[in-house]
Amino acid sequence: MNKYVVMLLAAPVMLAASPAPQSVQLSSTVMAEKTVSVGGREQVELKTPGSVLPGDRLIFQTNYRNGGGQPAMQVVVTNPVPAAVAWTGEATPGAVESVDGGKTYAPFVQLKVKGADGALRPAQPADVTHIRWTLASIAPGASGLVKYRGMVR
Amino acid sequence: MNTHSIPLGRHLPVLLAGVAACAVATPAAASGVRAGTVIRNVATATFNDGTGDRTINSNSVDLTVDEVLDVTVVSRDSGYASVNAGATGQVRSFTVTNAGNGQEAFTLAGVGAVSGNDFDPAITSIAIDINGNGSYDAGIDQVVALGAASPVLDPDAAITVFIISSIPSSAADGQHGQVRLTATATTGTGTPGTVFAGQGTGGGDAIVGATHALANATGGVAGQAATLALLKSATVVDPYGGTRAVPGSLITYRLKATVGGSGSIANLHLNDAIPADTVYQTGSLTLDGMALTDATDADAGVASAAGIDIALGTQAAGAVHSVTFTVKIN
Repeated sequence: MNKYVVMLLAAPVMLAASPAPQSVQLSSTVMAEKTVSVGGREQVELKTPGSVLPGDRLIFQTNYRNGGGQPAMQVVVTNPVPAAVAWTGEATPGAVESVDGGKTYAPFVQLKVKGADGALRPAQPADVTHIRWTLASIAPGASGLVKYRGMVR
Repeated sequence: MNTHSIPLGRHLPVLLAGVAACAVATPAAASGVRAGTVIRNVATATFNDGTGDRTINSNSVDLTVDEVLDVTVVSRDSGYASVNAGATGQVRSFTVTNAGNGQEAFTLAGVGAVSGNDFDPAITSIAIDINGNGSYDAGIDQVVALGAASPVLDPDAAITVFIISSIPSSAADGQHGQVRLTATATTGTGTPGTVFAGQGTGGGDAIVGATHALANATGGVAGQAATLALLKSATVVDPYGGTRAVPGSLITYRLKATVGGSGSIANLHLNDAIPADTVYQTGSLTLDGMALTDATDADAGVASAAGIDIALGTQAAGAVHSVTFTVKIN
C-alpha cells in the first residue's frame, strides 16, 4: 500500500518530466508466504522479503491503475517468471502462459515443450517463462491487480 | 521446504486460480538455486491510450537467494574390514557432499572412540582423494590436519575422504571397532533455521538447513587374530615287533599344527629338536603324508642330526598340517 501512495505522489513529477505521460501505471511487489504457528495453528503470513531460500513460496503481484483521463484499451500485463523461480500453476484467472521466453502464449493446458528425447510433452508449470493477462480496458481512475505464485527453485 | 498444505483459497480468494493437478516444480539442482542469485521481478504492460500504443514497466523488485547450509556424509565401505590386531594404515572411506546451495568448506574430524564397540582404532590421518580414484594413495592424496577444513566445495559437489587408522594390538579375534567422520559447515551449525547474518555466499545470510549443517558416518573394522595349536605324539616300534622304548627302537614323532581363530599367521615354522640319545633317520621327514628331502632345497623341509624345520609360510585360519619324522634310540 505504501508503494501505491508513493506512486501517486510521484505522478506529478513524472508528468513534469515526461512529454508523453503514461496513463497506465504498474507497481510490482513480491511477497513471501511464511508458515507460522499461532496458538498451535499453522497460518500463512505474507511478508516482503529481502532475501529468500530455495523452496520459498512467493506471490508476484502487479497492481495496475489508469491515472490518465482516457480509457486504456487492450491492456496486456506481462510478468516474466524469473529463471530462479518455478511457477506453481496458480495465477489470477484469465492468464495465458508462455514456455518459449514470451514468443507465444496459450492457456497452460495447451502448452507443450520438447523433452530430452526431442519429443513434445505437455508442459509442466515449472516450464513456464512468462505469464500474461489481457484487460479489454481500464477506465480512468480504475485499478486492479494480477498475481501468480512461484517457488524458488 | 514449504508445501501445498495450506489451501490457496483461504488466503487469495478468487485472485489466483490453480491449474488442475499441477506438479510441484522440480528444482534445477538438488540443492536449489545458488546462493547469491538475484531474483528480479519486473512486469510490463502494453496498451492503447487513444493516442497510440504504449509500453511501460513496473518498478523492479530484487530478492537475493540466501545460502542454505547442508552437508551429508556417507560411508563408502560395506560392512567391516577384517584386519589383524596391531595392523596399521587401515583405510575407511567416506563421501562428503555439499548439500547446500552455496560455496562452503567443511571441517573434517575423525574419532576412533565410537560407543558400542569393542576397541577404538587410533586415527593416524585424514586425507582427501585428490586424484579422484576412490582409493587412498599415500603421498598423493591430500592429508588434512585433524579438525581442519576441506577445500571450498560448490553446491552438490562431493569429495571422498579417507580415515587412516591403526588397530590396537589388544584387539581380539571377532571384536569390532569403528571410526567416525564428522563434517561441519565452516560458516556454522545449529538447529535448522539458525541465521548467520551476512555470511552467506554472495553476501546474503547463511541459514542452517535440515541437516543442521553437520553430518557424520562410521566405517567399521573387525579385529582378527589367528591362533596356533600344536599337538605332538609319538609311536614306538621296537626291534622285536613290540612297542617298547629300548635301544634300537624307532620312535616316529607326529607334529600336528592347527591354525584357529581368523586371519592368518605369517612365516610359520614348525621346529623340533632330535632328542638326546636318539639318531635322526635320514629320509624320514614327511609333510601331510608326502616325503620331504632332508636337504635345504625347494621343498619346505630341512632335517639334520640336530633337528627338523618345516617352513609353512603364511597359513590362514582353518589350515591343518602334519609333520612326521623318525629317530632311533641308541
